[in-house]
Amino acid sequence: MTDVVRRGVRPSRIAIYGVLLLACLVYLIPLIIMLITSFKTPMDIRSSNLLALPTDWTTIGWTKAWAEACTGVQCEGVKGFFWNSFKMAVPAVLISTLLGAFNGYVLSKWKFRGADLMFGMLLFGCFVPFQVVLLPMAQTLGMLGMANTTPGLVLVHVTYGVAFTTLFFRNYYVAIPDALIKAARLDGAGFFTIFFRILLPMSTPIIMVSLIWQFTQIWNDFLFGVVFSSGESQPITVALNNLVNTSTGVKEYNVDMAAAMIAALPTLVVYIVAGKYFIRGLTAGSEKG
Amino acid sequence: MEYRQRRPSGVARVSSGMMDSLQRWLPKLVVAPTVLIIGIGIYGFMLWTAVLSFTDSSFLPSYNFVGLEQYAKLMESQRWLVASSNLALFGGLFIGICLLIGVVLAIFLDQRIRQEGAIRTIYLYPMALSMIVTGTVWRWILNPRQGLEKMMHDWGWTSFSFDWLVNPDFAIYTIVMAAVWQASGFVMALFLAGLRGVDSSIISAARVDGASLPVIYWKLILPSLRPVFFSSVMVLAHIAIKSFDLVMAMTSGGPGYSTDLPAVYMYATTFTRGQIGQGSASAMLMLGAILALLVPYLYSELREKRHD
Amino acid sequence: MSQLELRDIRKTYPGAHDETLKGINIDVASGEFLTLVGPSGCGKSTLMSSIAGLEAITGGSMVVNGVDISAMEPRDRDIAMVFQSYALYPTKSVRENIAFGLKIRGMPKDDIEREVERVADLLQISPLLDKKPARLSGGQQQRVAMGRALARRPKIYLFDEPLSNLDAKLRVEMRTEIKKLHQRLKTTVVYVTHDQIEAMTLADRIAVLKDGELQQLGTPKEVYDTPENLFVAGFIGSPSMSFIELEIERSEAGLSVTVEGSDGRKLSLPVPDYLANWVGKRVILGIRPEHISQPDNIKSEHSLVASGSLTVEVTEPTGPDIIAVIRLNGIDVHCRLDAEHPVNWGEDAELMFDMNKVVFFDPATEKRIRPN
Repeated sequence: MTDVVRRGVRPSRIAIYGVLLLACLVYLIPLIIMLITSFKTPMDIRSSNLLALPTDWTTIGWTKAWAEACTGVQCEGVKGFFWNSFKMAVPAVLISTLLGAFNGYVLSKWKFRGADLMFGMLLFGCFVPFQVVLLPMAQTLGMLGMANTTPGLVLVHVTYGVAFTTLFFRNYYVAIPDALIKAARLDGAGFFTIFFRILLPMSTPIIMVSLIWQFTQIWNDFLFGVVFSSGESQPITVALNNLVNTSTGVKEYNVDMAAAMIAALPTLVVYIVAGKYFIRGLTAGSEKG
Repeated sequence: MEYRQRRPSGVARVSSGMMDSLQRWLPKLVVAPTVLIIGIGIYGFMLWTAVLSFTDSSFLPSYNFVGLEQYAKLMESQRWLVASSNLALFGGLFIGICLLIGVVLAIFLDQRIRQEGAIRTIYLYPMALSMIVTGTVWRWILNPRQGLEKMMHDWGWTSFSFDWLVNPDFAIYTIVMAAVWQASGFVMALFLAGLRGVDSSIISAARVDGASLPVIYWKLILPSLRPVFFSSVMVLAHIAIKSFDLVMAMTSGGPGYSTDLPAVYMYATTFTRGQIGQGSASAMLMLGAILALLVPYLYSELREKRHD
Repeated sequence: MSQLELRDIRKTYPGAHDETLKGINIDVASGEFLTLVGPSGCGKSTLMSSIAGLEAITGGSMVVNGVDISAMEPRDRDIAMVFQSYALYPTKSVRENIAFGLKIRGMPKDDIEREVERVADLLQISPLLDKKPARLSGGQQQRVAMGRALARRPKIYLFDEPLSNLDAKLRVEMRTEIKKLHQRLKTTVVYVTHDQIEAMTLADRIAVLKDGELQQLGTPKEVYDTPENLFVAGFIGSPSMSFIELEIERSEAGLSVTVEGSDGRKLSLPVPDYLANWVGKRVILGIRPEHISQPDNIKSEHSLVASGSLTVEVTEPTGPDIIAVIRLNGIDVHCRLDAEHPVNWGEDAELMFDMNKVVFFDPATEKRIRPN
């Protein structure tokens, strides 16, 4: 019986696998091109084509991108900006996740008058195009003396990330039975004890989702970086864009690709190591309510 | 029993009374920072931008109100009109193609495929990349002299020509290509999750009734994924309206302003051309566009929930 | 040993029109096992949460051993609760689950250990102490949930439908176990259930609630034999009491009512003398299945017993009994017949009505007509 079914289905199975594998190629080719180009010499790039392997494998593109390439006026590579991005992303990710966890806890388990309003405001906040806050935020950062600083960028990313992290945690905690909280209250636990000793130990998956989502968002951000930072405080994405768009001299695509790889690596590593949580974050982010 | 009596009960009572009122305030205290930064950072600033859009602010914000003049100017601006129609074109193609690819790949991937995990990982990794990285790569691939064109020539197709990236009439399509490459795997993941949530007894029942697999998908399963469809459209539309990074990395809005999108226009007018009033008005129109999508979406969501 | 007084407890949820609890008065004696029973939405769970302090009441007061606890936080009330879903802390082992409340109250480590051991022994869960709740069966989780409550040695135990997530067999076993435990420990227990058999078997006294009002408070026997009103009468007992509206008649033999079988046969049933004032008026007769049986020689000697032949519509053998359905005045009436003398549906059976224990209700007020 199974044999008959299998035989009948076979041609369409081949077609399905064919399509799926072709799609794999389409998704992978840009990454492959980026990688092989980054290991070519400029000469090699001019003489060979996109998918040809380098004749001489060289890391010159990488070293140049890291320490020498021009990103606008200065020519010190992207290394400083790479660390800028970490200095910005790590605190912003941690703060927004912590706030999100607390908010989610309150909005799901300690509802107060106005909690639904707050939730609605956060939900809407996830959809607002950031263009409507850019200029006032720039002005405010200026007034606070935080314009063009990493702490300024941290503040911005926390402000516009906390809506997402709150929704993650709120939706996760809503699914946890209220009886658990009641039991803990009868056991004598208070607001923080319940959070830290009961809820938080159960929250590993959603903490991972929040950390990874926020890290990816903040690391990959370009808009806030380009608007609220300049020169030394810029994140890697802005530096990469400057490097690629610097029009002086001969275009060195190997350096461009190496710089792009450097900018992409942290989030790619996170994705490969913890892809499960990344996907959960994406799907959760699309469901929101 | 005994341990309770070790504590003088009077003392315990007093301090617990203070603790009680603190406990009662704690939840509100804990969410206060968020309410503050969201209240100011989103809603306050939104209002501020709205105010600025009614002024003649140029390099610096001024509060000299000129009514709807900025909006009127915007409507007459050739560049804004190009940006808006680009958004319609880009958004329509981007959303449509992403949905098509996403649905097809999700259905194919739902057929007990070997190595499904690996394949899914490959489809989705572009979503982990910055659009600046995506833009940089696609700009290199599509560059007319050394990229795709040269490769095709090397492989013997010497008449192949592909100059869309620098052709004002076609440059916007290269942005669509890169954006679809980046986001279609994500749509696939959403639909795959939706498909996995479909009650498999529905499929069994339909099979017993004699329906073929394509019919089952088309008539039964896809209609049941309506919510996934809507949330995909919402997310994709949101990406499209906000997309700024990709354009900046691939074309910077060029050639000329042929690939301008509202987000690019807003940035350019506000921060490089010193037309803050104009930029604010364009930002408000972007907000309006999002609202036009969001309100019916939320309305239908809420109505559905009430039906449950 | 603690005693709990509920005085005029009222609760209105914010934004709600109706009161969920409309002035509940119950005194629970020290060491008493009280069950709160009622259909869903009757307010029993709200009342329980209010006693625990998880819901604030909007009126009345709750007093434990003479101390008003109405405004206290849950943790200061010294009340433990066993939840329907067990609400075990999933990341903690059984041992940690039981110890959690003690730890928070600052009990010394050694004492905690001893207390956990005691409770584990008591509930026979010692081998499970280092497992996580997810690895336990439903029955085991139920024991752990009880252990967590017992370890605290609280003044009052609350049980919120603790057995309703168990399968039928386990439910009966645990019911017995809870009863044994209570008889041994003599703790004050308030036990919420919607299952009237659970309520009957466990309780010292039953409080029947409906629509936020106390319908009746009494021992299982009182509630069963002398229900205060139609609702209690119908709610307690399975199969439930049958109700027939009819008129009280007077004849030479005394007071009687007449019922009519499905084929038009009439049967006159004697009724007690206290209904003398109701002659010529309509009442509701409440008759339980065991009040109708096959004729037995001893009982038929008694007064207020009558027999007649009626058609059996349906038979439902339960093992020891056969529940037969007959139609009287167009209403299905259950009878409890002896399984040793089988009857078949569609056939006539000679049935004996013992009218000594039937009850009568005033159709207007739905209250039971009391013998004076």
